[in-house]
Amino acid sequence: MRFNEKELVCLSRQPSEMAAELGMRGPKKGDVVKKRLVKLVVNFLFYFRTDEEEPIGALLLEQCRVEREDTQTFSIAFLDEAERKYLFECDSEEQCKDWIDSIIKAR
Amino acid sequence: MKLNERSVAHYATCDSPPDKTGFLFKKGERNTAYHRRWFILKGNMLFYFEERESREPIGVIVLEGCTVELCESAEEFAFAIKFDCAKARVYKLAAESQTAMELWVKALSRASFDYMRLVVKELERQLAEIQDAAGASGQQGRPKPSPRNQVARSRSGASSSSSSASCLSSSASAPSMTAVYSAQKSLQDEVQLISGSFKENGVTWSKPPAASANGSVDTAPSCVTWDVCTDSGVATGCGGDGGRAPPVPPRRLGASLESPVSPDTGCFSKLHDWYGREVEELRAQWLQSQ
Repeated sequence: MRFNEKELVCLSRQPSEMAAELGMRGPKKGDVVKKRLVKLVVNFLFYFRTDEEEPIGALLLEQCRVEREDTQTFSIAFLDEAERKYLFECDSEEQCKDWIDSIIKAR
Repeated sequence: MKLNERSVAHYATCDSPPDKTGFLFKKGERNTAYHRRWFILKGNMLFYFEERESREPIGVIVLEGCTVELCESAEEFAFAIKFDCAKARVYKLAAESQTAMELWVKALSRASFDYMRLVVKELERQLAEIQDAAGASGQQGRPKPSPRNQVARSRSGASSSSSSASCLSSSASAPSMTAVYSAQKSLQDEVQLISGSFKENGVTWSKPPAASANGSVDTAPSCVTWDVCTDSGVATGCGGDGGRAPPVPPRRLGASLESPVSPDTGCFSKLHDWYGREVEELRAQWLQSQ
């Protein structure tokens, strides 16, 4: 499916107050936790390698399910593939809560 | 750059209601002919399909930050979607009639969060104006008498005025165009916002329909609308109606909020929070003045 990648990259540079380094793990078996700069802009969640300008990827948050996995970890899954979860490890319970709240509002 | 394409495509075809659908001609990137495609607009995403019955979109245009312009083109009813970023692609589209073109241009111009922010700012400005006017006339939070007569229709939570402010309820789905359209109308109706009902933290609040209501009308989380005492000389509160306001739902903790007119307010959830808080304060003032 085609999408306007350049414009999406541009969007990822917009200011956002929900941006932080989190431990992120992809949904595939065998994916490991990696430190990523995660940034919420409108209804997209972008993730960057720290100090890189261009995001590695983006997640459209429409129709997603956010769940708390434990005190400092939350997950995002999409309705069409409920078992494939993206995991995000935060530094504190409060940060985790803030992220969950923000993502829920962004959907 | 990676994108959760499968889920994005699923979003296109899932049963969440689209904001607009229809056929448009789209100019190809390399092949410069116009191809007729089926378009579905949902929030700030414009999907296009080869056919109306296609199960998967060929592509999507993320509309955030775009401008929509009419363009001079050999093709009739043509318009373009442009972006403000370097080397951005210009999407040239053409509708099948003048009316269709106008409707699409309108819908697409309003499809982004940018537009939502403008709406919120405008409503905030109106709110401030009303507060000032109310403060000046000694009646806190009370709009001018004459528009109040129209408020009677907003009594039920299902009225159209509720949708005018429900666009600010970002805790619901991504802003729907119907909500934004209603919000647009509300810009001309200065009391609309206050007299409508709106959701905040999952609780629906309604304003009292009577022009001189004494009590507050908070609703319990079960979304029941409280009846309001009409002015019958009852001095304070909603007297015998058992009309004490239910406790306000706890505010969500979030990042410290910037000023609403700060140009760096780039996050809609933050604007939503700020706006909700402003409404809260206004309500509290109004309550105190009863």
